[in-house]
Amino acid sequence: MNAHPHDHDPNDLAALIRAAAHYLPAQGPIDVFIHHNTLHAFENEPFEDAVIHASSIFGTEPFLSESRYRDELAHGRIRTADIEAVLEFDSPHFAEAELAGGRLRLRDLHRVLLLHPVRQESDTSVRWTLTESDVLQRLRADLPTHVRHRLLDDDLEPGGRVARSNLGDSEDEATRRTTFARADMGSADRERRVCSDLWHACLEAMAISHKAFVHVRPPVRHRDLIRAVDPTMDTDELVHPLLIRLCAAYLDQGVASWPMPDREHGLLQAAAGLYAGAHGPTEPWSVHLPAALRACRGLTADEVIVTEIDRLGVPRADRGDFIRQTLLALRGWAGMIYQFQERPDRAPVEQVPARLVDFLALRLVLDRVAAEWAARRNGIPPSGHEGIDLASWRVELQDRFPPHRGPGTLARAFLLHQVSQLVGMTGHDIRSLDENELLRFERAISAFDATSRRRLFHLAYERRHRIMILDALAAHVAVASPRPATPPTGQIILCIDERCESFRRHVEELGRGYETFGTAGFFAVPMYYQGLDDWHPSPLCPIVMRPSHTVLEVPEDHSVANHRLHRNLRKRYGQLSGSLSVGSRTLFRGGLFSALAGGIAAIPLVARVAFPRLAARIGKSAADVTRRRIATRLDLFRDGPAPLDDGTSAGFDVDEMAGMVRRVLEDIGLTTRLSRLVAVLGHGSSSRNNPHESAYDCGACGGGKGGPNARAFAMMANDARVRERLVRDGLMIPDDTRFIGGMLDTCADGIAWFDVDRLPDSHHADMQAMREVCSVATAADAHERCRRFESAAFDLTPAEALAHVEARSVDLAQVRPELGHATNAVCIIGRRWRTQGLFLDRRAFLVSYDPTTDVDGTILARTLAAVGPVGAGINLEYFFSTIDRLGYGAGTKLPHNITGLIGVMDGHGSDLRTGLPWQMVEIHEPVRLLVVIDAQPTAILAAAEAVPAVKKLVVNRWIQLVSWDPDTGGLSVFEQEGFRPYVSEGTQPPVVDRSADWYGGHREHLPPARVLNGLEPHPSRQGGAA
Amino acid sequence: MSSHDLISLLVIAQLAAPLATLATIGLPALAGRPLGETATTRLVGIGFAAGFLSGVAALVILGGRSFRPEIVHLATWFAVGHHEATINLVADALSVPYVCFSSGLCWLVNAFAGKYLHREPGFTRFFILLALFGAGMNLMVLADSIDVLFAGWECLGISSALLIGFFHERTNAVKAALRAFTTYRICDVGILTASVVVHRAVGSGDFDRLFGVDWPNGTCLVSATTATVVSLLLVFATLGKTAQVPFSGWLPRAMEGPTPSSAIFYGALSIHAGAYVLLRCEALLEQAPLARASLILIGTGTAIHASLVGRVQTDLKSVLAYASMTQASLILVEIGLGWRVIPLVHVIGHAILRSLQILRSPSALHDRYELAAALGGHPGSGNSWPLSMMPKTWQDHLYRVALDRGYEEMAVSRLVVGPIVRLLDRAAAAEKAWITWLSGESAGDRR
Repeated sequence: MNAHPHDHDPNDLAALIRAAAHYLPAQGPIDVFIHHNTLHAFENEPFEDAVIHASSIFGTEPFLSESRYRDELAHGRIRTADIEAVLEFDSPHFAEAELAGGRLRLRDLHRVLLLHPVRQESDTSVRWTLTESDVLQRLRADLPTHVRHRLLDDDLEPGGRVARSNLGDSEDEATRRTTFARADMGSADRERRVCSDLWHACLEAMAISHKAFVHVRPPVRHRDLIRAVDPTMDTDELVHPLLIRLCAAYLDQGVASWPMPDREHGLLQAAAGLYAGAHGPTEPWSVHLPAALRACRGLTADEVIVTEIDRLGVPRADRGDFIRQTLLALRGWAGMIYQFQERPDRAPVEQVPARLVDFLALRLVLDRVAAEWAARRNGIPPSGHEGIDLASWRVELQDRFPPHRGPGTLARAFLLHQVSQLVGMTGHDIRSLDENELLRFERAISAFDATSRRRLFHLAYERRHRIMILDALAAHVAVASPRPATPPTGQIILCIDERCESFRRHVEELGRGYETFGTAGFFAVPMYYQGLDDWHPSPLCPIVMRPSHTVLEVPEDHSVANHRLHRNLRKRYGQLSGSLSVGSRTLFRGGLFSALAGGIAAIPLVARVAFPRLAARIGKSAADVTRRRIATRLDLFRDGPAPLDDGTSAGFDVDEMAGMVRRVLEDIGLTTRLSRLVAVLGHGSSSRNNPHESAYDCGACGGGKGGPNARAFAMMANDARVRERLVRDGLMIPDDTRFIGGMLDTCADGIAWFDVDRLPDSHHADMQAMREVCSVATAADAHERCRRFESAAFDLTPAEALAHVEARSVDLAQVRPELGHATNAVCIIGRRWRTQGLFLDRRAFLVSYDPTTDVDGTILARTLAAVGPVGAGINLEYFFSTIDRLGYGAGTKLPHNITGLIGVMDGHGSDLRTGLPWQMVEIHEPVRLLVVIDAQPTAILAAAEAVPAVKKLVVNRWIQLVSWDPDTGGLSVFEQEGFRPYVSEGTQPPVVDRSADWYGGHREHLPPARVLNGLEPHPSRQGGAA
Repeated sequence: MSSHDLISLLVIAQLAAPLATLATIGLPALAGRPLGETATTRLVGIGFAAGFLSGVAALVILGGRSFRPEIVHLATWFAVGHHEATINLVADALSVPYVCFSSGLCWLVNAFAGKYLHREPGFTRFFILLALFGAGMNLMVLADSIDVLFAGWECLGISSALLIGFFHERTNAVKAALRAFTTYRICDVGILTASVVVHRAVGSGDFDRLFGVDWPNGTCLVSATTATVVSLLLVFATLGKTAQVPFSGWLPRAMEGPTPSSAIFYGALSIHAGAYVLLRCEALLEQAPLARASLILIGTGTAIHASLVGRVQTDLKSVLAYASMTQASLILVEIGLGWRVIPLVHVIGHAILRSLQILRSPSALHDRYELAAALGGHPGSGNSWPLSMMPKTWQDHLYRVALDRGYEEMAVSRLVVGPIVRLLDRAAAAEKAWITWLSGESAGDRR
C-alpha cells in the first residue's frame, strides 16, 4: 500500500484544496446554464482513460451499461463488423497472443466475450443457478453451430480432436455435415455428458489454480471506514441535513424572506455564530458541536482545517485524497460555493463572500463531531482532555477494513465453464492445460472485465455512427454542386446550433433560391445587453469572453411617453403581484388573501392547466397592451470614449463594428454574391415551469437569447460608415444589400423580426418574401420536430404541428418543452453546398467555412476556437448526463425543487443536482462529437495547434476529428497516430423528394437521406470538385 | 324519479366513478399489462369528471330544495341487537360542494400529471394512487358514519404515503414516506377510538344519531361529555394530516414526491382533510369547549411556528409547505372559534391558490426575473414587524430556532422516539440474554 503520487507538496494545504476543487462540478447558478464538459478536469488525459479514471473518483459509470450495448447489438445499431473492427484496431500486438496451449488467440476470446453475454455471479447465486437451471445438462443456446458440433463431436471421437485443435473456420465442411448427422442421434444424452464433463474439468482446474486475492486500499474518510465495520452508521446522513441547510441559507439569493445573519463574515463564522451558542438544543450526535464551533471563533478557515485534519488523524500522504473525497461527498453544494468564490459576478442577485475553505473547515468540524459520536457509540472511551482519540481509532478501523475477496471457486469455475463452451473447449481440453496455461487463460478472461467490454462496445457504437455519417457525406458530395456566381434571392445567417439544421434545410427545400449560413450565434458581437424590460445588463457572448461593451435598448424619441406609461404600469403590476405572492405565504395577509380571494386563483389554475396556449395568449396580449406601442432601437453607436461605471464602453465605434461585420462575413465565406436581403437570426428558447430554461438557449451567447446580437449585427452591417470602412479594407457590400435581424424561438418555432420599419421601401417586397419563406419553414420545422414527441400524432399538418409546439412552450405541465441538444452528434465545418440537400436529422452543428478563401488558415483557427469548445461542451455534457443519469446528470425533473434561485435539489434537502435532467437527455445517443472539417489534414492540424483548448480536445480525442478534402472530397479520420484515410463502406443514402417523406412516421434517430428538393439548383451528377 | 332517488343516484355516482376507474386501470396493471398512458389519463380523467359533474348536478338539485340533507343508505355491514354498523352517505350543504371542489381539483391535476409524468417509470402507479386518493376523498367527504369516514381517511393516508415515496429508489423519499405514514398512523388512533366511543354511546357510527345532519345547523344529540371525548379524539386525529405541532415534521419532507401530487395533497386536499372532518362534526365541537380551546391553542401555536420557520426556508417547496401549514392552522383556529362557513371558504380559497403555486413552483426563476424587471431590481428581503423590532441577538437566536424548524423534531426525537428506541433495544437485549440462558450457552460462546 502506498500513497498516490501527488503533483503537489502535501504540506501545501491551499494547493491540495485547489487540486480537489478542480474535480467539483463547474456549474454556476442555474439561471444562466452554460454547457461544459462534465469531465473538464480530465481533458489532459486521453478520453477513454479519462472516463474510467473519473468513474473511479466520482463513483460513476464510465460508459453506457453493457446490457444497453447488447441491446444495440441486437437491434443492429452496433454490427458484428464494428466489433471486429474495434478489436482489430484496439490491441494490434498482444491480441495475437495465443492462449490455452495455442487453441485460441486473445482476440478470439475478446470477440466471443463481446458477442455473447457471460454471467459473472457470486458463489451463492451460482449454486442456485446450478440447481435451478439446466446449465449442467444443456450447452449454451447461443453457441455458433460449428462450436456446438465441435463440443459434441469431441465426445464422440476423442481421437479426432487433434485435427480440430485450431479453432479456425477452416473446418472441412463435409466433415461437419457428417458429424452433424451423427451428433443428432441421442444428442440430449451426449450434450448432458459433454456439459457435465466440462463442468467437472472446470472445477478440477480451480483446484489447481490459485484463488484470486485482491488487496484493496482502505478508504481515507472516517465515514467510509466506519460504515465498513458498522453498516448501519452513516455519519454523512447525520452531517448532510445540517450542512445543506447552512449552505442553502448562506447562498440563498432571495427565496427566504429572512436572510441568514452575518453572511459577510463567511460561511464558517456565520454558522459558528448560529450554532456555537450554549442555548438551543442539539441532536444527539451534535451535542459537542457548539463547543467545537466555539473553538473555531477567531481562527481562520485554514487553521481550522489543519487542526481538524490533525484531530481526525489523517496522515500527510492521504491528505490530498482525504480533502478531495471530503469535498466530493457533497459535491453540488461544494461546487456552488466554489463557483461563487471564483465568479462572484455570476451571482444572480447578491454576491456573498463564499469561500471553499470555509465550507471545508465547517464540513470537517461537523465530520469530526459525528465521527466522535460514532466512536462513542462503538464503545471507544475518551482519552485525555481532547476527547476521543480519532487518530488511533482510524488506524484501528483501517486494520479492520475487510479485504476484498475475489470471486469464489464456484463462481470462477462457472465463468470458465461458460467461456470454454463459447471458445469450443471441452473438458478434455481443459484437463490438458498445465497450471500456467490455465492461469493465463483465467487471467485473460477476468482481465477482460465489464469496463473493458463496455469500452470496446462504445467504440463500436461510435464507429457505426461515424460510418453512417461519413458514407453519406462521401456519397452526397458527389451529387452536390457548388453555388452559382450570381447572388441568390435571399440569404439567412443562423447559429451553428444543430437545432437550426432542420430550419435551414426546410428553407432551402421550400424557398428555392434561398441560401443559409451558420456561424456562432453571438455573431461576433460580444456585449452586455440590457433590453427595455430588463433590470440589468447581461453578457451575450461565449462564456470564455468578457465583453467590454454595453448596449442598451432604448425607446425611440416618439415612444418615450408610452414607455414611461408602460414602465409605471409594469411597476405597479410588479408591486402588486410581488406583494401577493409573498403575502400569500404569511400568516395574516395570507389568511385574509386566501380566504377572501383565493378562489379567484381558480381562473388561472384552470386556464393554465386546461388551456395553456389560450391562457398564454391572453396573458401575453394583456402584457403587450402598452408595450406594443413602444418603438425601440439599440443604442449601438458610441460617440465619445467615456466608459460606463462598470468599465465597459457604451456602444461600439465604427472600427469595432466594421471588424465584427467583416469577421462574420469572412468566417462564413460571404464576401461576394450578397443578395438584396440578408437575414441574421439569433435563437433562444422560451418555456414555462422549467428551471433549466437557460440550458435551451444559445450556447454561443453564454446561455442567453441571441436575438439582440442578430439585431445589432444587422444594424452595423447596414450602417453607411461601417460599409465605408469595410470598403477601405477591401470588403464591398453592395448598396442594395440590406441586413435584417431576427430571433428564432427553437421551442415555439416562431421568428420575431427587428427593425423591419427601418428597411427602405425598395426592400419591402424582399422582406415580404423572406417572411413567407421563413414562416413556411418554421411550420415545416415544427412538423419535423413533432415526430419526436409521442404526444404529437404522426398525421399533424404543419399548421397543427406549429400549434402543438407553441402549446408546449407555454404549458406548465410540460417537462419536455423541446428536446434541446439531445440530438447533437456531428459538427460539419465547411461550405454549405457540400451538405445541402442532405437530411441530417437535426444532429449536426453546421458551421459555414470556405477553405478556398482562407489562404493562411487564420479563419479556420478562429472558427475552431469559437466552435470547438462550445460544441464539445454541449456534446460532452449531454454525453455524460446520458451515460450516468444520476451520477453526472440531474435525474428526473419531477421532484426537482428550486433552492436559493441557484439550483435544484431532489425533494426537500439533497445535494444540488448538476448536469442535465433525464427528460433532456432521454433520447440522446452518447457519441463524441464527430467534427468534419472541409479542409486538408495539414491545415486542420495547424489550426488546432494554434488553439490550446482545441488541441487538447483533438489530441486526447474528446472529439472525433475528420478531414474532408476540399478538392477531392476524400475523408480521413484522426486517430492516435494522425489522420488515416477513410474507406467508405459504399452505402448510398436513400433518396426522397422532401424531408417529410423520410422522417414521416418515425420517432427514432434516422440515418442521412438525400432530399432532392433541397439540392440546389437541380440534382446534377457533376462530381464534387470545386 | 323523485329528488330523493336522483340524489341517491348522483351520490353513488360520485363514489362509484373514481372507484370504477381505480378498478379499470388497477386490474390490468395487477395482471402485468398496464394500459397505455393516454388510456390511463383519460380513464382517470373521466372518473373525476363524472364525480365532478354528478356533484354539480346534485348541488343544483339540493340547492333547489334549500339544501335539505339527504341520507343515502347503501348497506348495513352488521347489526346485533340494537347495535348496527351501516354504510351510509350523506348529501348536504357541506359534502356536495366539497365533492365538486375536490373532484374538480383532482380532474385538473390529473390533466396536468398526464403530461408531467409522460414516460416516467411508475406512470401507472401514480394514477392508480391518484384514483385511490380521489375515491378515498369522496368516500370521506360523503360519509355519514364515522366508520365510512375512517375508510376514506385511510385511503388518503396510504395513497399520500405511497406518493411521497414515489421515487422509491431514493432513500430520502422512502424515509419521508415512512415518516408521514407513521405520523398518520399515530393520529389515526384518534378516529379509531372515537369510532369505538361513538358506537358505545349511540349504538351505531351514524352521524345522524350523533347530531342532526343539517349542516351548518346541526344540533348535538349526545351528552356534553361524550361530545367532548369524541371531539378531543377527532382533534387529535386531525393533528397528523393537518401537520400541527408536534406532528408537523413530515410536511416539508413530503415534497419528495412528484410536483402534481405535492400540489393536490399538501397544498390542497389532504392537508385540509382534518378540517373537513371537524367541520362535519361541528355540532359536537359546539358542545365541547375544551376541544375548541385546544384547537385554538394548537392552531395558533402552529401558525406562529410555521410562519416563523417558513421565513427562513430557502427552497420553494419548503416555503410553500410552511405556507400551507400556516393557513391550515389558521383554519383550525377558525373552526375552534365556532365559525362554519368562513373556514369552508378559507379551505377552498387556500387550496386553489396553493395548488396553483405549487404546480408552478418550477417557474420561480422566471417569475423572479420578471418581477425584478418590473420593479427595476430585486425586491429586498428582510424582516417585518414585529421581528424587525427585536435586538439583533434575539433575531439571530430566533433565526437559529427557525432554521432548526423550531426544534420540534429534536424534541420529538429526544423525548419520544429516543426513549422508545432505547426501550425496544433493552427489550431486544433482554430477549437475547434470556434465550442465551435458556439454550444453556454462556455469553462467551456466542461471541
